[in-house]
Amino acid sequence: MSAAAPTPRRTLQLLWPRSLRGQVLLAIALALFLAQGLGALLLYRAQHERIEGTLVHGAAFRLVVAAKGEPDDNAPSFAARMAGRPRLPGGRLEVTDASPLRPGEQREPEEESELRQILAEQEVPVADLVVFHRPISQDPRALARYRRVNRDSGTPPDLVLIAGLRQPNSPQWLVTRVFIPPAERLMLQSLFGQTLFIYAVLVGAMWLLLRRITRPLAALTTRLEHFARTRDADGQIAPEGPDDIARLIEAHNAMEWRISSLLDEKDVMLGAIGHDLKTPLAALRVRIESVEDAIERQRMAGTIEDITRTLDDILSLARVGRPTDAMEMTELSALVASVVEEFEDMGEPVELGDTTRIALSLRPTWIRRALRNLIGNALRYGKVARVSMERQGDTAIIRIADDGPGIPEGKIALMLEPFTRGEPSRNSETGGAGLGLTLARAIAEQHGGQLELANRIGPEGAVCGLEARLRLPRT
Amino acid sequence: MNGEMTDATPVRLLIVDDEASLREPLAEYLVRQGFAVDQAGSAAEAREVLRDGSPDLVLLDIMMPGEDGLSLCRHLVESRHLPTIFLTARGEATDRIVGLEIGADDYVVKPFEPRELVARIRSVLRRANRSPAEDEEEQFSFEGWTLDPLKRRLTDPEGAVVAISSAEFRLLMAFLEHPRQVLDRDRLLEMVQGREAHLFDRAVDNQVSRLRRKIEADSRNPQLIQTVWGGGYMLAAEVRRRPTSGA
Repeated sequence: MSAAAPTPRRTLQLLWPRSLRGQVLLAIALALFLAQGLGALLLYRAQHERIEGTLVHGAAFRLVVAAKGEPDDNAPSFAARMAGRPRLPGGRLEVTDASPLRPGEQREPEEESELRQILAEQEVPVADLVVFHRPISQDPRALARYRRVNRDSGTPPDLVLIAGLRQPNSPQWLVTRVFIPPAERLMLQSLFGQTLFIYAVLVGAMWLLLRRITRPLAALTTRLEHFARTRDADGQIAPEGPDDIARLIEAHNAMEWRISSLLDEKDVMLGAIGHDLKTPLAALRVRIESVEDAIERQRMAGTIEDITRTLDDILSLARVGRPTDAMEMTELSALVASVVEEFEDMGEPVELGDTTRIALSLRPTWIRRALRNLIGNALRYGKVARVSMERQGDTAIIRIADDGPGIPEGKIALMLEPFTRGEPSRNSETGGAGLGLTLARAIAEQHGGQLELANRIGPEGAVCGLEARLRLPRT
Repeated sequence: MNGEMTDATPVRLLIVDDEASLREPLAEYLVRQGFAVDQAGSAAEAREVLRDGSPDLVLLDIMMPGEDGLSLCRHLVESRHLPTIFLTARGEATDRIVGLEIGADDYVVKPFEPRELVARIRSVLRRANRSPAEDEEEQFSFEGWTLDPLKRRLTDPEGAVVAISSAEFRLLMAFLEHPRQVLDRDRLLEMVQGREAHLFDRAVDNQVSRLRRKIEADSRNPQLIQTVWGGGYMLAAEVRRRPTSGA
């Protein structure tokens, strides 16, 4: 993450992996961290206790010997013997008049209780006992002893364990010092290093394994997105990855072929239906020219026109998802005007209001069909059609308003479904299969736009008509 | 000049369609309209009829078993130079454009109105007689606009397609062929009267205002197609012609 996140919460969101691989890897990394951390901690504690134990035992041994005298030695205790002698600097034992604990130094209760237990087992009476750690640099006596023992060579340990014992009936303290070996720190370091190494190896291996699983999944996702857009079965991906994933890809490929061939079959079938129905309709249309009665002939022609329009709507609706014609930069206001003029030529009450020039990439035959359906609907149910066009940013909006009864609010969505018509009582009079709006909406969506229907509210607050808005984005 | 057929030399038509149910009544209807009509049920039969003589115009179904209409059309246009009108059951734009690009002169979508078919036959014949495909071999440009007569495609200075009707197309062609000339209403009517004459002769003015709506920046203040006092219109622009082959 390059940019500094403003809040910790945002940072967490940014760092939180969104992919399958990232999330699984994070879960595994956290689990491993927990397991290994616990193991390392337990190991550290065990080692630590073992070393502490050794130190405490060393201190206890000296104190016991000093307090009780050598085994089988009937001589007075060390303390008694030492009473009058000069004190050796750097000796193992020291007798002091006061507690060795300096103000501010922390006692070690665990080690104290361990020592107290050992002393009790050895029947050494205890009045006062202190055990604590002290940096060797602050303890000249320990430093001197280390120098003497090691002949001034080597690096002294950092810490020294100091144990002081005052026995009952004695004002003096017996003090012994044990060096804490630096080994404990080394152990901690190597333990940490080992843990980190194993951790890195495991997480790295998981990363590789996950990549093997998720890479074909990612390829499949890309492919699916492509297919959903184009419905073209060419350029399928080869099955790879673990068996489950490979089988998923194979199954997907098979399904793609199936869908694609179904769509192809549908197109062929629709072409055949169109051809097979339109040719007899054409024959019928020619034959009615010999009907003597002009009014009767006109009615027949009207019926044939209705059938043709419905057939066209059905065929178009079935094909709207897979148009065969290409998008073309088209000047929309001229297109709208030309459709309006078709209706004018038929003597229909259509008004063209304000329009604005805007060139869009679209399929002119489809947009014409959508406009014809919307204007035709307005004329059928709303007496007049008022068409206007405006531009909002990168979207062209074509409005078709009528003076009809509108649509009850709850039924607007229903009107866009296939085979739905307004007022059932008017069906026989108005004709149509109720596909007009459905098709207009599908065409809008084919172009990445929308079709909206809304009642027009007059100044008195009552519904005074319907307005259809066709929104087409400039993409 | 309005395309009326004389009884002395009836126009010969050839209908090529595999559907006898359409072909036969259509032939009867066209005979009643004063044409002489031959029929063929397939591309092979059509070639046979053509061997014996040349019709004046061919009506051709696109979808036929065996050799289809597109292939036969290519033959008719390239080696016989016969005017051709497609009969197509499909309405999709690509089919129409393919047909026109191959060289068909027009198309009608089934089911068509027989009167309209007759109007189109006459319109195609009139154009064919006037000058054998002379005016549709090139494209016109004016003030950044381009009109491709073959595809009937008008594009604006930004290259976007501008939809125009057949009547507007003919009107614009009349202006482009006579730039900077004053054309009065009668002259325009005579030049552009096409298959939709029954719609068109209602008002030349109406068609001019429609055309202006599509090509003028401000149709209330027209710059390209100007009104001339005394009852006429004039295209006030330089027109250049280019061969269409490049487009």
